[in-house]
Amino acid sequence: MPTLDLAVKETLVAPWVDWARRATQGRRLLEAGTYALTEGAIAAGCRIFAGYPITPATDIAEYMSKRLPQVGGYYMQCEDELAGMHACAGGSLGGLKAMTATSGPGYTLMHDAYGWAITNEIPMVVVDAMRVGPISGITGAPGQGEFYVARYCTHGGNFETIVLSPSSVQEAFWLTIDAFNLAERFRTPVTILTDQVISDMWEDLFLPDDYAGLDFVVPRKHNLMMPFFPLGGAELDVAPNVIGHGTGVCVSAYTHTEEGYDIEEMEAQWAQTYRLINKVRHNRAECTRYETVGLDDAEVVAVAYGANARTVKTGVLEARRRGVRAGFVRPITLWPFLDELYEADRHYVVCELNYDGQLVREVMRAAPDKNKVHFMGKSAELHTVAEVVAGLEGVARSGRLPELPYIWTEVR
Amino acid sequence: MNKLAAKYLRPSQIPTKACHGCGIGMIENWLLQAIDELGLKQEDVVLGTGIGCVGRQTYATWGGDNFGATHGRALAVATGLKLAQPDKKYLIVVGDGDAASIGTSHLIHAARRNLGVVLICEDNMGYQSTGGQFSPTTPAGYVSNSSPYGMVEPSFDPCDVVKAAGATFVAESTATQWHQTVKLVKKALQNDGFSFVHIRFPCNENFGAYALGTRDTLKNLDWIYEHTQGRKADGSESDFTWETGIKHDASNSRPEFTRILRDMNARVRADMAAKAAAAGAKP
Repeated sequence: MPTLDLAVKETLVAPWVDWARRATQGRRLLEAGTYALTEGAIAAGCRIFAGYPITPATDIAEYMSKRLPQVGGYYMQCEDELAGMHACAGGSLGGLKAMTATSGPGYTLMHDAYGWAITNEIPMVVVDAMRVGPISGITGAPGQGEFYVARYCTHGGNFETIVLSPSSVQEAFWLTIDAFNLAERFRTPVTILTDQVISDMWEDLFLPDDYAGLDFVVPRKHNLMMPFFPLGGAELDVAPNVIGHGTGVCVSAYTHTEEGYDIEEMEAQWAQTYRLINKVRHNRAECTRYETVGLDDAEVVAVAYGANARTVKTGVLEARRRGVRAGFVRPITLWPFLDELYEADRHYVVCELNYDGQLVREVMRAAPDKNKVHFMGKSAELHTVAEVVAGLEGVARSGRLPELPYIWTEVR
Repeated sequence: MNKLAAKYLRPSQIPTKACHGCGIGMIENWLLQAIDELGLKQEDVVLGTGIGCVGRQTYATWGGDNFGATHGRALAVATGLKLAQPDKKYLIVVGDGDAASIGTSHLIHAARRNLGVVLICEDNMGYQSTGGQFSPTTPAGYVSNSSPYGMVEPSFDPCDVVKAAGATFVAESTATQWHQTVKLVKKALQNDGFSFVHIRFPCNENFGAYALGTRDTLKNLDWIYEHTQGRKADGSESDFTWETGIKHDASNSRPEFTRILRDMNARVRADMAAKAAAAGAKP
C-alpha cells in the first residue's frame, strides 16, 4: 500500500490567525454559531441590528435583542426585511455600525437596500444563514443556494461584493469582526454567507474578555468634508459619510456626483462604476481568506466552504490515509472569487450543498482544464466522509467521479 | 430665488427639473416657511425623500443633509437614522406612491411606533413621473394612462390609515391652502412623535391633461380648490370634497419610539451596574 506523509501541510490565510494569538484572556463556552455571530458583531462595535425573524437566523435577532441594550445599542424588529436592511443603512449613515441577519427568503427581499448601500458606500454586515430551497424549502436543513445571489445581490450591475463564509462556531466569531472591518475599510456592505448547520451548531467557543481592548477592530470614522464620493478612484479606508453632522452630504439611489447630487450623464456613471468595482478588484489581497490542506503534492483537490467543508476536509484526510494524493481548498472569501486557488493543473472535486451547481461553475472558469473539474452536489444534508473518500478515490483512479446515491455530478 | 430658498436651499439645485407649473416647488417653499418660523437651521433638519416626482424634485435641494431612499423606504431609512441621530428633525417628503402604495407598511409601522419624524405626503394623485398611471389616491372613476375607462378601484385616504395606526399628529391640506399648510407643518414639526401631513397638489402634464383635460396650471389649481371647498365656481357642489385641516392631534401625548429604546437601554445598563456593584460588595 502506498504511503503518504500524514503530517500534511495545512494553511489558513485569515487575519484571525494572528488575532487568536493576541487575544488570550477570555472565556471558553459551549455555544451556537448564531451566538458567535452575535458576539462577533458586538465585539466589532455593532450598535444597531434591524431585521425580521427567520429560521435559521432568528437566534441572532434574539441574542441581539438581549445584548445590544447592554452595550448601548439598538435592536429593532422591523415589519419586513426591506425595512430591516434600510434601517441598518440609516443607522450606519447616522454613525452606528449596523448588522442584519436573515435567510434566503429575506435575503432576496433586501436587494433594494443592498444596492442602495453599495451605491452610497454604506458599511454594514448582512448575515445570510442559507437553508435548502428554492424559496422556503426546508427551514431546518442546510443549503448553499445563494452563492451567486450574494454576488449579484442587487440589480443593475456595475459593482463588486465581498462575501465571507465561516465553517466553525469559533471562526464565525472572528470572521464577523473581520466582516465589519472590511465593511468599514471598503465602505460597502459585506455578506456573511453561512448556513443552517453552522448557525445552529453548538461548539467550543473562545470569547475574549475585553472587547474594547481588541486593537484589530477598525473603528468607525466620519467623513466630514467633500468629496463625499471619491469617484474614479479605488482607495481604501475612506471614512464613511455621516448624516446628522451638518456636512451637507447627499445620498440617494441615483447615479451621483462627488457631492452626491443625482446626475444623468455617462461620465458620472462611469466614474461611479469605476470606484464601486475597482475599490474591491484593486484591493483583492485585502480580503483574501482561505484554508488549504496538502496542496504540495495533491493530484485531486476537494473544494468546499461552510458546513460541508468540515466533512469534506475529514474525507480528504481519510483519502490521504488510504494513499490518495488528495488536497483540500476551502475558500473563506467567496467573493471576490479567489481564482488563484485553482491555478494548478489538477483535478478539482467541488462539493456543495445544491444540485444545480454554483461554486463549481466558478472553479471551472478559474481552473486550467475544466474537464478536470468535477461536481459533487448534495442537497439538504452534508456530504458524508465516505462519499467524499469514494469521490476522491474514483477521480484519482479513473479521472471520473463514481456513481453515488444522492450525489449529482452533472453541470451544464 | 426668494429669501427662504436662498437661506435654506442649494443654489446649484434650484430650480429643479420639475415640469412647468408643478406644485412641488411651491409646497417646498411653504415647508421652508414653517421651518423658518420655528427658527430651525439647516443643520437642525435632515431631509429625506423617495422616488418619483416628489422624490426626484425635492432630493438634494435642502442645504443641510439629504437622503433619497429607494422607492417606499424613506421611513425605513429614517428609522435607523433617528436611532443614531435622535436630536435632529426629520422632514420626509415623499409622494403618494411612496407613502400610500409601495411604502405603506413602513408608514403604518412608523405611525404605530410613534417614530419622531414628519412625513409630508405630497400627493399628485397618480404615478406622474412614469407618465400618469393611477395610484391608490387617484379619485375613483378618474381617467389616467392606466385607467383609460376610469379608475375602477376605490381610492383610500392615508390620513385614516396613519391615524388608525397610532400617529400622534395627522393633518391634510391642498396646494390652494398656503397659510393653513404652513401652520399644519409647524405643528407637525413640534410633535415629538410621528406626524403626517397630506398635501394634494396638481400635476398639469399628466393628471391635469388626462383626468381633467387641461395642462393649464390655473385651471388645475381651480379643480383642487373646488374639491377643497366642496363647491364649484358656479356654486354647485363638487363631485367629492377633501376634508382638510387637523385630522388628529395627540402631539407629545405618548413617548417617541427612539426615546423608549434609549430609556430601556439606560434601565438595562443601570440594572447591570447595580448587579455588578452588589456582586462586588460581596465578601
